Amino acid sequence: MASVTLKNIYKSFGYVEVLHNINLEVDEGAFVVLVGPSGCGKSTTLRLIAGLEDATEGEVLINKRVVNLIEPQHRNIAMVFQNYALYPHKNVRENIIFGLKRAKAPKDLINRRLERVSRILELEDLLDRKPAQLSGGQRQRVAMGRAIVRDADVFLFDEPLSNLDAKLRHQMRSEIRRIHREYKTTSIYVTHDQVEAMTLGDKVVVMRDGFIEQHGSPMEIYLKPNNIFVATFIGAPSMNMLDATLFPGFVELEGQKLMLTKRINENDIPLPKEGKKLKLGIRPDFFLDEDIVGKETHLAIIRNAHIDIIEPLGFDRELDVQVGNQALKARLDLRTMAKEGETINLCFDMERAHFFDVGTEKRLSIH
Amino acid sequence: MIGKRSFLQNIFLALAVGSVLFICLFPFIQILSTSLKHQFDWGNPSLIPMKINLEAYRELLGFGKMKDAPIPDTIKRLLDNPLITEKKKDEIISKYRSTGDVFPFPRYFLNTFILSASAASISLILAVFGAYSFSRLRFKGRSTIQRSILFVYMVGGVMLMVPLYQMSVKAGLTKTVWGSLLSLLLIYIIQTLPVSLYMLGNYFRTIPYSLEEAAATDGCSRIEAIFFIILPLSAPMLVTVFVYCFIIAWNEFLFASVFIKQFHDFHTLPLALQSLFVSKNAIWDRIMSASMLTLLPVIFCFMFVMRNLTGGLTAGGVKE
Repeated sequence: MASVTLKNIYKSFGYVEVLHNINLEVDEGAFVVLVGPSGCGKSTTLRLIAGLEDATEGEVLINKRVVNLIEPQHRNIAMVFQNYALYPHKNVRENIIFGLKRAKAPKDLINRRLERVSRILELEDLLDRKPAQLSGGQRQRVAMGRAIVRDADVFLFDEPLSNLDAKLRHQMRSEIRRIHREYKTTSIYVTHDQVEAMTLGDKVVVMRDGFIEQHGSPMEIYLKPNNIFVATFIGAPSMNMLDATLFPGFVELEGQKLMLTKRINENDIPLPKEGKKLKLGIRPDFFLDEDIVGKETHLAIIRNAHIDIIEPLGFDRELDVQVGNQALKARLDLRTMAKEGETINLCFDMERAHFFDVGTEKRLSIH
Repeated sequence: MIGKRSFLQNIFLALAVGSVLFICLFPFIQILSTSLKHQFDWGNPSLIPMKINLEAYRELLGFGKMKDAPIPDTIKRLLDNPLITEKKKDEIISKYRSTGDVFPFPRYFLNTFILSASAASISLILAVFGAYSFSRLRFKGRSTIQRSILFVYMVGGVMLMVPLYQMSVKAGLTKTVWGSLLSLLLIYIIQTLPVSLYMLGNYFRTIPYSLEEAAATDGCSRIEAIFFIILPLSAPMLVTVFVYCFIIAWNEFLFASVFIKQFHDFHTLPLALQSLFVSKNAIWDRIMSASMLTLLPVIFCFMFVMRNLTGGLTAGGVKE
């Protein structure tokens, strides 16, 4: 186990700078997920830690030791690649123990580790097969086995599940969680899938365009996104962003007054007379049907929302509704009697709503 | 129906394929046929020998005795001259009859084999590292160097022959047999290296780079990754490149005829065959069986490559 630290990392490919001043602390034994849309620099960050890329500027530390000049083979890291990168000419057994053999580990240790890993990953019956004779999920498990069989300081996962189908992905996700619980090895996991990020990470790092937008625990990021990008990127369906105007005691949305739970301190946010234009962010999951919850005074209510489409998803129903000129999504439970074409009153807890500055896109702390 | 051929089309296709095949193979059939014929059969246009004669093969491979060369009529008439002493006559006859070392096939075979195999091996080793750096490393002038290598093929061998020989003379290589052989070896390597580099380089590019990255995280240095991952995966192409170089060197005549003409013991097969054609030992079955035996390794090589060149070794390693 080891800690990983990135200090003021810059990375350029030719004239293109892809990472701008990345600072990251990964504690010993932590599971950190780097998440962001493709091209945000998350894979590059991972490859810098692995030593497969060199930082243009800044320091990479593993176990408090600067490793910038240390070749990947001497960093004692194990990596799972997006495309598996299994050695095609070696069978599953040889693939898994290749690293141990290179490290000249004793035979009985190799056998013990191989046995354990193949048991955990259910590869026992596949050990003599070549990668070409395996299915995608099996290959992924072999790639995983190749990483965890070694006593590496850090596990690096580069979108390991992106090539699997939904069911297998879910299964492997639990597998990875279990493995991490068992081995407690420091892990850094790259994905563009926010569900993976939320479910796997102790800590989630949201990246965009080579910047870290926010890092924190999954719930922190879910409940208190720093800016519009993080708010809409994390969570599915993504957060509604509505144009609204803020006044000292309420917020106006399409002519409707939604009461705030507390008065805005004008020293914190200067409010002009005509109010401050901003973005009101509410997650679809936080809406309630007024007909179901009844009239509760502490909830804000959006009235007469016109229902365009209802998608029944089993327990949930996803509603596409229109409030004035703005569209929003609401996810209600199956008790709602709302019908397409009718109107609905949607309640939500103002504490759960966020306000974002229109210019900077940053979250305004109102609560 | 698409792709379905009529009976007539089938016949036409078979005829076309058959005739191309026949034209390609006819010289070889002719060689084989003549090499198996007895002297009385040589004039016979039939490709099938009336009686199989393996004498020439036996003789070349050292199992049988050399056949006496026929003494030309002019010499016979000369021998009738009573003024020539018996001793002198015997000398002349034995000069014509002497067959020892006329065509030491095993020796030439070995010469050629050693020369070709060393040229191919060295070329392959150089090509592995050269091709690897062309396909994987980023350095200044890479593509320029890569392209300029092909200049070797811009000028034909005939034009290069004299300058190259002069260079060897200036370098003092041609004074000894080993120096001459070294020059020849170098020429074979240079002649085959560009194609080897291209074949291997293109093959290396088909091997996903992530395999090497995986090897690096598994504790391999770059060189180790080449040996443990890249080379095993390139085995079919390595064989192909080796065989290609080997055959080029095996069949090469022009440079050999310049550099080692004077060293009879070190002649290669093409050179030896040529001198056999024009020597007093030029007997048809011997010439043809020598040609046949020279051809054999080439045929074996091709068959070997065909069997091994199945490719697809990298399948399954990465998700495409």
